[in-house]
Amino acid sequence: MTKFTSLSILLVISLLFACSKKPAPDHTQLYEEIRHVNRMEFASLAVTKTVKTERTDWYKVGKRIAVYSYDTYLKAFIDMNLLAPEDLKFDEASKTVHITLPPVSIEIAGRDMEMKKEYENIGIFRTEISPQERAKMKEKANAELKKELEGNPEYKQRLNQTARQKARSYFNTLLQNTGYTPVIHFSDETVFSGDFNLKNYD
Amino acid sequence: MIRYLKYIIILAVLTVLAIVGWHFYRCFKSQEEIEVLPSRPGEVKEMVRLCSMEIYNEVPVLDTVNYKVIFAVQKQTGSISFDLEHIDIDDSGDTIRIQLPREIVELYESPEKNAWQVIDSKAIGPMSLFRKGTLTLEEENRVKSKLKARSISRLYSNGTVRQARKDAAENLASMMENVYRRPVIVSDPTPDGKSN
Repeated sequence: MTKFTSLSILLVISLLFACSKKPAPDHTQLYEEIRHVNRMEFASLAVTKTVKTERTDWYKVGKRIAVYSYDTYLKAFIDMNLLAPEDLKFDEASKTVHITLPPVSIEIAGRDMEMKKEYENIGIFRTEISPQERAKMKEKANAELKKELEGNPEYKQRLNQTARQKARSYFNTLLQNTGYTPVIHFSDETVFSGDFNLKNYD
Repeated sequence: MIRYLKYIIILAVLTVLAIVGWHFYRCFKSQEEIEVLPSRPGEVKEMVRLCSMEIYNEVPVLDTVNYKVIFAVQKQTGSISFDLEHIDIDDSGDTIRIQLPREIVELYESPEKNAWQVIDSKAIGPMSLFRKGTLTLEEENRVKSKLKARSISRLYSNGTVRQARKDAAENLASMMENVYRRPVIVSDPTPDGKSN
């Protein structure tokens, strides 16, 4: 009887373990990073990059040309974590408020996932452009864009200027509602700011 | 000696032929040229958005489209922000009341190197042996579009959007309290966000 009871318990335990289900691993993400930020975005700019591929083979008949494009987005923002309470000074006598805003920063927010087809001419005897080739084309265009952005201050200046104007206009309206006359400065007013935030992208 | 000379000549001829063949191949092999055209900037767009969350993902994708399978890895960057330009601020009472607007979830391909790595693609299904597994641009775009929708949907289901809304409400209240020097209440009608 004892033997039968022991065997029964063993069987039940075996069955329980046999039925236990391991939680399925999550393969939907390889890596995920969430960053808490507190920033105000005042301007954005889309830059279109166009890339062409042409492969010539002396022994093949027909052309193989493809031209694709995609947009990369730049953003101008102010990090509000840098705005301390003492950056707002209220003057009760003159009914004015002086606000010193942190500098404008500019970063590459990202690029379009999809590419647009501008032109394609692939002869019937030639192979289609593969996804690997398109990825390579996009990589090359991306590298060129970064070089252009680093070498051409025009993009930074345009974004910086628009972001400052918009920030001034927004805080002007907001502070006027409080019954004070706002005087808005930027902490880096005399120094040009707005370096591209490329540190993580090389 | 004459017997050996014959072999030496054959070897020399073969070597010369190999060198000539290699040069011929080098000169006429497939030449691929990728040309990147100068950038075309658009108009600078003005906005007033409060961004409370930045996202960075690396996502594998295994998808099937038109009997073709693709396996790739994508690096994504994105943000969750709120349009402050069109919010209503009720400052009629002692307490300022603001309603948190709908979130704007933006998700892009990262500007990092190798942000879209295609590992493989192949044909499946009937007659797959006789079909090419190369995805066209339209098919690849469909895969990416579905991937983007899935990744955004995941931000809602895993609570990222909820957290972003909570952070935004706190940040907005703090900023407005500094401006108005009065208590500020930011109400959130949709704490979990509202996906399309």
